[in-house]
Amino acid sequence: MATTVAPAPTRAPRQRPPGSRLKLRNTFIGWTFILPNFIGFAVLTLVPVLILFYLAFTSWNVFGAAEWVGLENFQDLITDRTFHTALRNTGYYALMHIPLTLAVSLGLALLLNTKLRGVAFFRTVAFFPYITSIVAIAVVWNMLFSPETGPVNQFLMALGIDNPPGWTTSTTWAMPAVALVSTWRDMGYYMLLFLAGLQAIPGELYEAARVDGANKIQRFWNVTVPSLRPTTFFVTVMLTIASFKIFDLILVMTDGGPGTATLVLSQYIYRKGFEEQQFGYASAVAIVLFVICITVTVFQFLINKRRDR
Amino acid sequence: MKRTIMMSAAAVAAATLVLAGCSSGTDNDSGGGGEVTGEVTITLAGWSLTTTPEFQVLADAFHEENPNITVEVLEYDATEYDTQMIADLAAGTAPDMYVLKNLKNFVTYQDGGQLLDVSSVAAELGDDVNGVDAYTVDDVTYAIPYRQDAWYLYYNQDLFDAAGVAQPDGSWTWDDYATAAEALTAGLSAAGSDAKGTYQHGWQSVVQGFANAQADGADLLSGDWEYLMPYYERAVALQDAGAQVDFGTLTTNSLTYQSQFGTQQAAMMPMGSWYVATLLAQQASGEADAFNWAFAPAPQLDDSTTGEPVTFADPTGIGINPAVSDEVAAASMEFLTFVGSEAAASALAEIGITPAITNDAVTETFFGIEGIPTDELSQFTFSTHDVRPENPVDLNTVALQNILGDAHTAIMSGSVSPADGIAEAMDRAASEIG
Repeated sequence: MATTVAPAPTRAPRQRPPGSRLKLRNTFIGWTFILPNFIGFAVLTLVPVLILFYLAFTSWNVFGAAEWVGLENFQDLITDRTFHTALRNTGYYALMHIPLTLAVSLGLALLLNTKLRGVAFFRTVAFFPYITSIVAIAVVWNMLFSPETGPVNQFLMALGIDNPPGWTTSTTWAMPAVALVSTWRDMGYYMLLFLAGLQAIPGELYEAARVDGANKIQRFWNVTVPSLRPTTFFVTVMLTIASFKIFDLILVMTDGGPGTATLVLSQYIYRKGFEEQQFGYASAVAIVLFVICITVTVFQFLINKRRDR
Repeated sequence: MKRTIMMSAAAVAAATLVLAGCSSGTDNDSGGGGEVTGEVTITLAGWSLTTTPEFQVLADAFHEENPNITVEVLEYDATEYDTQMIADLAAGTAPDMYVLKNLKNFVTYQDGGQLLDVSSVAAELGDDVNGVDAYTVDDVTYAIPYRQDAWYLYYNQDLFDAAGVAQPDGSWTWDDYATAAEALTAGLSAAGSDAKGTYQHGWQSVVQGFANAQADGADLLSGDWEYLMPYYERAVALQDAGAQVDFGTLTTNSLTYQSQFGTQQAAMMPMGSWYVATLLAQQASGEADAFNWAFAPAPQLDDSTTGEPVTFADPTGIGINPAVSDEVAAASMEFLTFVGSEAAASALAEIGITPAITNDAVTETFFGIEGIPTDELSQFTFSTHDVRPENPVDLNTVALQNILGDAHTAIMSGSVSPADGIAEAMDRAASEIG
């Protein structure tokens, strides 16, 4: 045990505390690592988004200068019936799509979280829809849903249902049909996230539960569900944002029709901006969508925090 | 360290300047005062160049007459053409001349100051050029049309004979057409064929285009669309009677009109004049069956207009980017003068395009194409009609057409009655456009 007497600190001429140089250097090295990606993000996403916030208060048709109109775009939104329809449809879709996809992907993950032979094959199969071309998906599902000649309705009629729904050709059934297809498409992706979560649960917990005499269902509710909570939270947030942003599938499957039965916010933004050249108005609708997404996400974070205690 | 910060700051500043430089469009007003002296190359935008030869045909024919000016055709995406062109114009990277694919977006370019005044070229054109008026706003012309399509009624002569129904004679009204469609369906079914009497493609134009062109007091911009009613009632009735494929089957099975008529699934089809060249090509390649066909004037509202049948279609024209230099502008004006000439029309007619001029010489060239029906009614249909533009030139046109498009899918899918669908569309027009 050697004790060294520290020399009396001499006031260095430098103003910096020792070690700060290293810290600065480390910060710089850190920045250089994220810089390539960040530059791309800033130029292609961040800056355009900030510009969008400005454009929402202007009237701009792409050529020439944007004219400042203040809150006029937002006032127009209040009386725009088509915007209300799009808002309603987006909410309706999210209400159907979120719980359904959560249930199906978690169910799949539980099914495929076993040590059976060939389980890898089935996991891959469940993931296929997610990586298939969206246009192909839309064409094939449209054919399956065809009111007169489609296999879905042929099957329903064989079951003795006389008037099966018209699916994508009926204003009532078009949205449920789209929600079904998007659930089928997304389930593989969220299943993977759940699988990762399931495999991170320590086996000892199940063993302990089994020793205490818990049956399968009790084990699921008291071990799996609480341990999965971080994963479930992440999946729900991602799924919610994705649901409110739904665009591609609607565009290729129903194009908002019949009438405006499946017109959603993203599509309305596209129409107003890229078809009708009202970029200011489209930006205002985009801000509404942004506010909805951020509000729902913050709300979910708060609930998650409260449960963490 | 400091140096690094300075350098990155300089780099960011430089990048910003470059980006800013990209987006500032030069705006020199050239009234075509320049003179073409030496060798000039000018660029023209086109789409799907492998299947759409018309741009190259115009460029080559012009170069033959003017060896010192070369027209280079640049390819754009067919479906996203307008989006790409608007972006390029805004960024200052657009070609010297660009094609106005439809009238719907013409006003975007014209109102945005992206088209050079070409009135001097228009003043020298012959009187028989169709579609110039569509490009004229407040007595200033902004583009020169090179093709002017028109909607016809195509019919399969073999299926008419099989069903024992009299072929169109050029005097048909829509009621005659509906009667024939039902008689054809019944006759074909009796002859053991499951072909339908007619095929109406899923576009809103097939119903609304005719109504806007033919109905009394029709005005798309008025937002008062009661005049669409009889047209929709007829279309829905034909669908309900099974005389045409219903809209649901058409959309869910992604039917194409080329295969419906080309493989004899339907005896009649209202369609634009561009289909003549397509059908000839497909019959030659074997994509379509070999059968006898012809085209007749579009059915009319009543028999008062059968002498000069009223039909519709937008012209296709070429305009000049105002950002070009004086010399390029002058060369482009010369090209546009050629585009509106009979020589250009004949060159286009040779490849089956319906040019903006359909005089006797051009008609003769068009009907010289191998395999084309040469009966008198087809020739009359091609050369004589009153063609109205589908899209009025107005800033609200696209928004109104979108509302009407929604009404079309709602009515044709049977989700609402024609009356309710049109009432809903009128409400939306009042609330959105007001």
